[in-house]
Amino acid sequence: MTSNFLELKGLYKTFDNITALNNVSLNVSKGEVIFIIGPSGCGKSTLLRAVNWLTPPDKGEVWLEGNLVGSSSSKLTIKEAKLLNNLRAKMGMVFQQFNVWPHLNVLENVVRPQLVVAKRNKANAESKALKILDEVSLHNKIDEWPDHLSGGQKQRLAIARALAMDPILMLLDEPTSALDPELVGEVLIVLKRLVNNGMTMLIVTHELGFASEFGDRLLFMDGGEIIEEGSPKKILTMPKTKRLKMFLKKLDITSFKH
Amino acid sequence: MLEYQIFFDYAPILLIGFWLTIKIVVCAIALGIPLGLFLALGRRSNFVIISFLSTSFIELFRNTPFIIQVFLFYYVLPFYGLRLSAEYIGVLALAAFGSAYFAEIIRAGIDAVPKGQLDSARAIGMTDWQAMRNVILPQTLSIVIPPLTNQTLTLIKESAILSTITVHELTMTGLMVQGETFRPFEVFIMVALLYWALNETIATIMRKFEQNTKKNRKAGSIGNSSTTLKKSTSIK
Ligand SMILES: Nc1ncnc2c1ncn2[C@@H]1O[C@H](COP(=O)(O)OP(=O)(O)O)[C@@H](O)[C@H]1O
Ligand SMILES: [Mg+2]
Repeated sequence: MTSNFLELKGLYKTFDNITALNNVSLNVSKGEVIFIIGPSGCGKSTLLRAVNWLTPPDKGEVWLEGNLVGSSSSKLTIKEAKLLNNLRAKMGMVFQQFNVWPHLNVLENVVRPQLVVAKRNKANAESKALKILDEVSLHNKIDEWPDHLSGGQKQRLAIARALAMDPILMLLDEPTSALDPELVGEVLIVLKRLVNNGMTMLIVTHELGFASEFGDRLLFMDGGEIIEEGSPKKILTMPKTKRLKMFLKKLDITSFKH
Repeated sequence: MLEYQIFFDYAPILLIGFWLTIKIVVCAIALGIPLGLFLALGRRSNFVIISFLSTSFIELFRNTPFIIQVFLFYYVLPFYGLRLSAEYIGVLALAAFGSAYFAEIIRAGIDAVPKGQLDSARAIGMTDWQAMRNVILPQTLSIVIPPLTNQTLTLIKESAILSTITVHELTMTGLMVQGETFRPFEVFIMVALLYWALNETIATIMRKFEQNTKKNRKAGSIGNSSTTLKKSTSIK
């Protein structure tokens, strides 16, 4: 499919008096890997949460493969709400805080949504879960409670849980930001494999090396707007706007400190 | 002096009243907890009418004396053609009263689950109800068991008020025995001991149950916000 695999049209969102998204439009083609950077509070999370309508924008529309995910202009009918849940299942989301389910063990975390949402039978769901847990190297942890896992293992579990739904798009919101530095690598390995498998992804991150190596496109956001976009290497080495230059300078200083 | 003979002579009839108290409370809880869950979800509903009705119900029953609620049920229900025995009316009144408190306990439990849990459930395609059922409520359980138990103990004590509408539960039986024997001290000591034994038994069982659920899964796994709630609401 061409450029309208995922389409964001004129997204606008305010919280109280804060403009989190200011008329953001974006076309994503299948297989594209898009990194999003920008200062804290600039609307990166809100943008990702608008894509699967977890945070419905005040204005705008989101389309996935020609299906309307959500539109601010009309209230959801029951049928549309059902369609939205189906579309969400196709958009795997990974959160900074992992949000794995502590009352279910590792295997159950991956099995449960397959049973409840995808309506698979237990045997199929379990064999699928085992296969994916193997891919993220958690096969020897299947009976473990999430509380006994390290941050890196929790995030790999969260990714496995999303992948078990056979997503066609992954939304990752600072997937490595809550991790100790020595645990970042094991999560990046999993993400790199996804890129190589051709997964379409929107990734919010501060890992600029990762972004410039694996990104097809990089967006720099500030104040709820996309300020610059283009190939990661070009944007990171030759920032055009003052705001991006300042942002990169700050990021450089902080990463230098580590 | 205590007349010990009274203990033996009237124990059987008091036990009959005690048994009715147990049955009434069990029924009231069996009705009250589901109703409380319904009210808790109703209060959080996006539908204004549902949340208004749920909130009104909860606030009404939490902010009026139980004895007045009992009188209202007793005199108003028949007026609307619902002719039930005093026992059934007692169960309904106790269930309604309890459900208002159960609802608030469950709501606090739901609020104690970190918000990201609902996010991840919704993001993976679960409906609101699927998310509640599979992700939120199971995590709420270990948070709400201690306060729900305490509320149950309160209901057992409040059930004594049903004696005012001629339900022959433990307190009513005690009043009748005392009218016959004119030995209030012996009679009400027995009544008190029976209530105390029941509450102590339930509290002990629930403490064991709570310890077991904790052992099964590492404590504090619900997230930080709930550990404070847990501490402040352990079973007395
Ligand atoms: N649920 C919310 N309620 C109120 N304000 C919010 C909420 N979510 C985000 N915001 C505000 O919207 C702005 C953008 O937030 P966010 O998208 O989380 O930024 P980022 O992810 O880039 O740090 C911030 O100013 C934030 O405070
Ligand atoms: Mg964010």
